[in-house]
Amino acid sequence: MLNRRAFLKAGGLTLFGVGLMGGIPGFLAEAAASDKLNAPYKRKKTLVCIFQRGAMDGLMAVTPFTDQYLQDARPTLFMSAAKSQQGGPLIDLDGRFGLHPGMAAFEPMFREKRLAIVHGIGSPNNTRSHFDAQDYMESGTPFNKGTSSGWLNRAVGLLGHDSLTPFSAVSMTSAMPRSFYGDNPALAVANLQDFALQMRGTPTNVNMVSRSFEDLYDQTATGLLKQTGRESFDALKLLQKTDLKNYKPANNAVYPNSPLGNSLKQIAQLIKMDVGLEIAFAESNGWDTHFNQGTQNGIFGRNVADLSNSMMAFWNDIGQYQDDVTVMTMTEFGRTVKQNGTGGTDHGRASCNFILSNDVNGGLVHGDVKPLSIENLEDGRDLAVTTDFRSVFSEVADKHLKITNNRVLFPDWKGDQIGVMRA
Amino acid sequence: MKLLKKATPVICVLAVVFLLLASFLYDSHERYSFKFPYKRAGLTEQQAAAHLLNRFTYGATPGQIDAVVKQGLENWFTQQLNADLPSDSLNNLLNQYDALKLSNTQIANTFPKQGQVIRMMIDQGRVNKDSVKTDRKEYRDKIDSFMREKGLRPEQELFRQFINQKVLRAAYTPNQLQEVMTDFWFNHFNVSITKNDCAQFIPDYERDVIRPNALGRFDTLLLATAKSPAMLYYLDNFTSTGADNSNANNRQIIANALKQKLLMNANDTAQVIMAINRQQKLKKSQQGLNENYAREVMELHTLGVDGGYTQQDVTNAAKVLTGWTIYPMGAYGNGILNTLNKIPAEQLAARGFVHEGDFLFTPNRHDKTEKVVLGRTFGPNNGYQEGVDLLEMLANHPSTAKFISRKIAVRFVSDNPPQTLINKMAKSFEATHGDIRQMLITMVSAPEFWSKSALREKTKSPFELAIGAVRNLNATITQPYQLYNWISRMGERKYYYQAPTGFPDRGQYWINTGSLLSRMNFGLAIAANRIPGVKIDLAALNNHHEPESSQAALATYSKIIMPERNLDETIKRLTPMLNDPDLATKVNAASANTPPASSAMQAQTMKNDTAAKAWKLVKPAAPTNNNGNSQMLAQVVGIIIGSPEYQRR
Repeated sequence: MLNRRAFLKAGGLTLFGVGLMGGIPGFLAEAAASDKLNAPYKRKKTLVCIFQRGAMDGLMAVTPFTDQYLQDARPTLFMSAAKSQQGGPLIDLDGRFGLHPGMAAFEPMFREKRLAIVHGIGSPNNTRSHFDAQDYMESGTPFNKGTSSGWLNRAVGLLGHDSLTPFSAVSMTSAMPRSFYGDNPALAVANLQDFALQMRGTPTNVNMVSRSFEDLYDQTATGLLKQTGRESFDALKLLQKTDLKNYKPANNAVYPNSPLGNSLKQIAQLIKMDVGLEIAFAESNGWDTHFNQGTQNGIFGRNVADLSNSMMAFWNDIGQYQDDVTVMTMTEFGRTVKQNGTGGTDHGRASCNFILSNDVNGGLVHGDVKPLSIENLEDGRDLAVTTDFRSVFSEVADKHLKITNNRVLFPDWKGDQIGVMRA
Repeated sequence: MKLLKKATPVICVLAVVFLLLASFLYDSHERYSFKFPYKRAGLTEQQAAAHLLNRFTYGATPGQIDAVVKQGLENWFTQQLNADLPSDSLNNLLNQYDALKLSNTQIANTFPKQGQVIRMMIDQGRVNKDSVKTDRKEYRDKIDSFMREKGLRPEQELFRQFINQKVLRAAYTPNQLQEVMTDFWFNHFNVSITKNDCAQFIPDYERDVIRPNALGRFDTLLLATAKSPAMLYYLDNFTSTGADNSNANNRQIIANALKQKLLMNANDTAQVIMAINRQQKLKKSQQGLNENYAREVMELHTLGVDGGYTQQDVTNAAKVLTGWTIYPMGAYGNGILNTLNKIPAEQLAARGFVHEGDFLFTPNRHDKTEKVVLGRTFGPNNGYQEGVDLLEMLANHPSTAKFISRKIAVRFVSDNPPQTLINKMAKSFEATHGDIRQMLITMVSAPEFWSKSALREKTKSPFELAIGAVRNLNATITQPYQLYNWISRMGERKYYYQAPTGFPDRGQYWINTGSLLSRMNFGLAIAANRIPGVKIDLAALNNHHEPESSQAALATYSKIIMPERNLDETIKRLTPMLNDPDLATKVNAASANTPPASSAMQAQTMKNDTAAKAWKLVKPAAPTNNNGNSQMLAQVVGIIIGSPEYQRR
């Protein structure tokens, strides 16, 4: 069994007694950066999931703009693809669906067939509670609250090999998200720079303390504490070969200065550092637009601009790694077809999601969105869920990460893939 | 007894004796007869006391092991089971938090969610709906002044007070076992602040539902959680309605009456709108059967996932529990409340309503068919009592006895407790109808509890680590939330665990690369007095005797912080580092011009900087931090707290 420890040893990083601070000789750092270290990690696929918390209005993100019912239901929120549209038209994707102009960054990807959209996606459980719907989506079991693990944690266990490094599964959040709950190793860290020994003192002093810790965990601990202790110090050293603070994104990528932008930037750093990242998780907040959602430039417009610009900055930044990376968004439900009395929309059912990948069946709006007349709406008010989120998530996991065991990934679910990924 | 030894007037003595007798007669004060078999396991009394304190408190305070030995281990445990030691100084500390004493209704009226405030402001024309959610300052100011005017306070303040309370209580209550068990049961019957609907009821949940029953009977505790607003909201049972609602729908009648009344009396349209909104909400909430609570009460609270129930049992149990809901309060159904209040209590009771505190049973929403759960028939129309009987049956089921016994043994003995121990505890559970104290006694009286394989086998949770350090180091907490932030960073964001399973209780869950580093950082921070509002005085811990050398400091403080442990290896490993002549030379070569590095990363970038601040090994003149702790000492202590040995209990 090639465990992390064995590998890192092979990489020559764990020389006993070599301290952290100024203690890594140049040759070691070079070795760390060389192919010798990187080789076993190479060609690892990475899935990046972005949870849009608060429930994104899928009908405004990707609008069926020819639908008269929608236009009637949203007197001040409806946008059209007509050039005359005040404030800028929707980006006409296929004559029926229009992309919100805030997501102009997505358009070239869609045209190049590297971005796919699934519309009418959602959960079979019709709860309209954020908490419950997120819980169900993240556990991957829409009718069972007691599922102790999250679907992404189960995915880690189904990768077909042991986690090679502490960075196999990383959530860029301060607390472990529900998706990552479970027995497989996963790391939640809001800021990679926090992944260090934090103390005041001279370099020699800091060095002494970290040597003490490393030695203690190596020599006086057993089992879990010993192994994790080693991994912690290995991880520290891995991160130290990069100057995280002064990171310069490649290809002139500019990340929005937003929580999502920062999370994706750090995920890009991990990918480019070849530390074995396979599943990453980030969050985007503020989608619960009950009030003054706005059209082109309001709250919603800012949100979608942040989402698309962050994702595209990430995509450009990772450059040569694009073939190995898939980015998928998700949100707990959609919003009412009708706008409410306060310029917003209330909790609904289906929404849409975005998948960015060189392996995606892109340039298409997948799924089934019927005309939004009342008889087609779920409970007479909401865009109906026509695609179970699990059919999309499982297909992405299958095609990108080669995870085929749906019985474990999504227990109680037997459904078909919809062809959102190319074979 | 101290009081008796004093030369006090006879009358006082008599009064005390009388009170003692009275307390034996009237409260739950009990005398138990048991003997702990630690000698057979080869433990000294000191070691046994240390083990006891490791498992049933948040950590031994300096000198506490000796005190427990002196008191007698069994006596100490009895005292902890009775949980009635006076806690005046803690109560004084908690007096600063005014929200802790409020009822759920008061809380609902005082700490509205932000969305509710905005609704109110729109309804009352206090804010233009078109300006809502802009980040402009005047908008924020408007909300602030509206809230001040109405005496409303932000919900976050409630949680802050509640969390501060938790930290202080765990650190300072003399009734440690009660607090540890409160923690255990809260986690067992987990609810979460992440679920907005139940969040504001959580302080009451812990205070009135969990803590008073933490050392009581399991069935009482189960019933109390089932009826609490926090649980009713968290697992959605408040909304669960029977399919058969054909008979006179009292609630609808009440709602209609409310609407009529409001329409007549309303002096502005906003009130009418609110009434209609409420009605719509009401309708929405009457959607039908919800199985969430019924499933989890069996899977997580009582029988366990392999406890022998079927999906049909879940559905039928859900039907049994329909109509269990929350008595209207706060923004929820004020009008209904008024109307309910107008109906005489006897009349409500006669119609089958049950109103106890925040709990309401509404017969009109109850499923009136015959329901079979685990082979026993409930109903068809026995109202509230059906649910009580169901929970009673679940609480006393043999599967429950095993499930709860195992969970308690995992908490107090090891991540994989021996089956023999679980069997003994389950037997005790069944014999005493779930008397939690008796189960604990059975556990501690069993040799398995004292066996070598159990000693130090549990990994401290982040909360246990942080509070333990406070207690071991005799720290003074003035800003409890700072500790909470550290605990969260180490991986235990208490009260925010989303799933009804509660935090997993095993070392593997707590220890990962990120959390382990945070633990080391926590040790360094608390020892160096770098956590604001948490102060330690290391010199005082050793009665102001300054250790002669770094080695002496290491030995002395290891013993103070981790008494009754074999620390030879730890000390041996750290000693050469402290005396590294090479290190001393390097340090001496450095000058005093560079500011201290705040992180290892920065330190590394300074590696070639010869102008580093001087740091001296133990000398009387060693640099001291703001509390008089020498830097060297702080570092030694920090390393001890971050050491692998300290992570275990």
